[in-house]
Amino acid sequence: MNLQFLNPALLWGLLAASLPLVVHLLFRRRARPLAFPAIDFILRARRQTERRLRLKRILLFAARTLVLAAIALAIARPKLESPAAAAEAPRGPSAVAIVLDASGSMSYRLGGRTLFERAKEDAAAALASLGAEEPATLVLCGAIPTPPEPPGFERVALRRALDAAEPTAAFADLTSCVGVAAQALSGSEAQAAMGKRILVATDMTRGAWRLDQPPPMVRGPAGPVRPEVVVLDAARGAALPNAGILAVDAQPDPSVGPRGFRFQVELGSSGSEPLKDLPLQLRVGSGADAKTALRAFADVPAAASARKSVAHAFPQGGPTTVLLSLPEDALALDDARPLVLDVPREVRALIVDGAPSPIKLRDEAWFVEAALASSASPVRPKLIDGEALASEDLSGYDVVFLLNVRSPGVKGAELRRLVERGGGLFIGLGDQIDPDRYGDELGDLLPLPLHVVKTAAERGAPGAEARAAHVGEVAWDHPAFGIFQGTAREGLLGARFFRYVLTRPVSRKGNGAEVSKVIAAFDDGAPALVEARRGAGRVLLFTSSVDLEWNDWAIRTSFLPAMQRFAALLAGALEERREPPTVAGAEKRIPLGDGRKVAALVGPDGRERRGGQLEAEGFEETGAGATVRPRLPGLWQVRVADRTGERLDPKLAFAVWADPRESDTRRLAEGELTAWLGGEKVARIEGEGGKSSGGPAIPLWSILLVLGLAAFFAEGLLVAT
Amino acid sequence: MNGKPLLDPAVLAKLGGLKLRVRAITEGVLTGLHRSPHHGQSVEFAEHREYAPGDELRHLDWKAYGKFDRYYIKRYEQETNLRAHLVVDASGSMGFRGSEDRLTKLEYASALAASMAWLLVRQQDAAGLLIANDKVLRTIPPRAAASHVSNLVEALEQSTPAGETRLGAALDWLVENSRRRAVVAVFSDLLDADPDVMKRIAQLAKRKHEVTLFHVLDPAELEFPYDDPTLFTSMEDGRSVEATGRDVRRGYLEELNRWLAEVRRAAAEADVDYALCRTDAPLDAVLLPFIARRARHAA
Repeated sequence: MNLQFLNPALLWGLLAASLPLVVHLLFRRRARPLAFPAIDFILRARRQTERRLRLKRILLFAARTLVLAAIALAIARPKLESPAAAAEAPRGPSAVAIVLDASGSMSYRLGGRTLFERAKEDAAAALASLGAEEPATLVLCGAIPTPPEPPGFERVALRRALDAAEPTAAFADLTSCVGVAAQALSGSEAQAAMGKRILVATDMTRGAWRLDQPPPMVRGPAGPVRPEVVVLDAARGAALPNAGILAVDAQPDPSVGPRGFRFQVELGSSGSEPLKDLPLQLRVGSGADAKTALRAFADVPAAASARKSVAHAFPQGGPTTVLLSLPEDALALDDARPLVLDVPREVRALIVDGAPSPIKLRDEAWFVEAALASSASPVRPKLIDGEALASEDLSGYDVVFLLNVRSPGVKGAELRRLVERGGGLFIGLGDQIDPDRYGDELGDLLPLPLHVVKTAAERGAPGAEARAAHVGEVAWDHPAFGIFQGTAREGLLGARFFRYVLTRPVSRKGNGAEVSKVIAAFDDGAPALVEARRGAGRVLLFTSSVDLEWNDWAIRTSFLPAMQRFAALLAGALEERREPPTVAGAEKRIPLGDGRKVAALVGPDGRERRGGQLEAEGFEETGAGATVRPRLPGLWQVRVADRTGERLDPKLAFAVWADPRESDTRRLAEGELTAWLGGEKVARIEGEGGKSSGGPAIPLWSILLVLGLAAFFAEGLLVAT
Repeated sequence: MNGKPLLDPAVLAKLGGLKLRVRAITEGVLTGLHRSPHHGQSVEFAEHREYAPGDELRHLDWKAYGKFDRYYIKRYEQETNLRAHLVVDASGSMGFRGSEDRLTKLEYASALAASMAWLLVRQQDAAGLLIANDKVLRTIPPRAAASHVSNLVEALEQSTPAGETRLGAALDWLVENSRRRAVVAVFSDLLDADPDVMKRIAQLAKRKHEVTLFHVLDPAELEFPYDDPTLFTSMEDGRSVEATGRDVRRGYLEELNRWLAEVRRAAAEADVDYALCRTDAPLDAVLLPFIARRARHAA
């Protein structure tokens, strides 16, 4: 390490440190001789105090010398540099690009201040220390790096931009940002002869750098050259332990209850110590109405992640806000994760049994009723015979299940109204059905016209099970099948179908909403389950039976959840899959119907954003709705405007998360970074942590001033005593 | 300022000789004089008293026996049998004075001793003188004649401070040469090379002598008013020490006070009257209490 001075000429001031010695030698008072009788007492007193007095004199002399020497050295602005850095320090002026890390991890609080505040101070100090002939520019490194101006001499504007900079909750790719800075330094031909320097004010978290990418290069007259890179470590080498919620997967869980959900929470820790009994809390609702629904404890290994599963049954259906949280730590951004869930509401279903039987296993509707009436089901079914359909008022139901009903035509018009106003109709077939007659009675309510009954194998015949058809193709991404993941799909694909009704090809040409969609098909390609939108509602056609007559699906594990799912889908209680929470700074789509517009967004801070404020959040109107790039993590609500006025639409509420990658606050090895940037010749880390890297410059003047001040007070104390 | 300006040491210091000082002092304290309470051998007959067993036979008036056939004892007026030895320390340290307008300790002690001698002789008590440093320099046996005082004053005037303090020599001389009970007044700063000097004084008291110790010290010795770097040199030997007054003051005063307490304690244990005499204190403040104590003892 070499000691360097910014103002070496001022080292002449060190001569002042000899003043106490000079004063002592030149102005020392000669002892006056005095004949004194009681000299024995003086000798004894002097013997007692001599050692203490000599020490005091030495300390006084040292303190006075130290005061003067410290002031003289501090004015000369010393700094410690590695020999390599000192040797490679550019001798002439450089064009400088300052990169300010504004990523989520910079909100980490260290010593009462955020790392972003420290980084801004470091950047401001670096800006102030630039020579008058050195042009500079600023790159604010957030989700998308701000395109920098070419390096210039507008120091005031740069300082203003630096002061106005705010941290984000987004992920910042410092590799990209340093690349952008290098590009900015490449631009000007007038500055081609100058050195190039990039100052990066960051927290040194490892996730922000992609060291597998090419290092930054600046185009010069003689080709690309490595710029000098100085990393200003805002963390000052300190470890940044952090615990946070990395991800939450919320799925309906009927085992918990009718409106039960299971939350798979991924917890992460960046600390060097394992975390035991980390309290995890789930709150339901928002604002003052929020209530703690459950508390759990999780263990997270050191510098790793762990999963914790918690479940909760919501008392009511509808859009619901949920907040999973950990105790707040130094990085609060990832300690709470909001979610907006569509909790299924209660569905009123009418099951019309077209082939009732006193023997339950032979009853057409027994399996469906058992599935829908289970304790965990949000469906409240009512069972009637086919003959009773004519006298049943359908207006009190959300969904009607027509199961092997011979002649539903008497209720055709009422069924149509039910569907068009948003209700659902499930049509299950069977031996009571005449395909042609069914088409005549239900007309275009049928998703596809029925053709003939196909027998894949006669049930009970030898080898029938082997010849039976299976469901071969399923639209797994359809909400109706959303719960079938992994091995759970086997329960559906393993069912054997002996008989089913073939449908005719679609000849009808309507608008998009009228077109039917096959969401499951047999292995011969024949539709098994067809969905059709009719008005505001849906119709599902199952081309086989829902008892054991034509297949064995009813006794498969997939039957019960599928039926509940179909009921919810048809009732409109199971909309399209809710999009996962948006990451701060990323684009979020807001779907809007005809005639509806976004009037305002209400952020997690409770502030309403309209007009120009919406633009600040990246708001843009699109054909089918709008897109927005919200910056603040938390729960956002949408105020929509239509013909009737403005109102908050709870279905459009969405959650914004701080980027989970920012939870990883583990420190990047300084040697790795300097090596990637070109080694100690061109790169160094400044800050206390840089001491270990062998390449930092340490400003010592402030330490010297403190030392001088301490010596001054010590001198005063010695004189007073 | 004292009501009797002639007793102020600052005024006395301006007086040329010891005789003048003695006169000034004694005039100031004459009001405290008393008649001798002793009845003994003298020249002026006072009365007869009938003999009683225990009276000395040498006082029998044989003539009266011849006339009256009865035994009478003769009594005399204005007689005394008090003998006082004034021991003055004339060692080098007694030549110290902390300020030019003060008396040296020897001058102060001499003024005290001479005044005391004048007062004693005036009331027919006998006063003698012993001047010593590390040896006995001069002795004058006690006499009650008025002319004797001049000899004492002269001897004191001629004494100069020199040599080491060793009061032991003077005290030994007294033990050997004063067999009769006497009053012994010692004037010294007690800065003695012999640490057992107080034991020697106590031995004197054990021999039935009434010993009074006049401990003469200069205010500068008691207060140590020095701040600056000073080369302190001994007044009795070649020792010297350089010290900054304010640095050693606290330690010096602690040592001094410890020593003074020890001297007081030793004096009290030996039944020796002790008086600390600051050389800036009026002399009557020292003499009057002494005379009063003498009156009490005699009664």
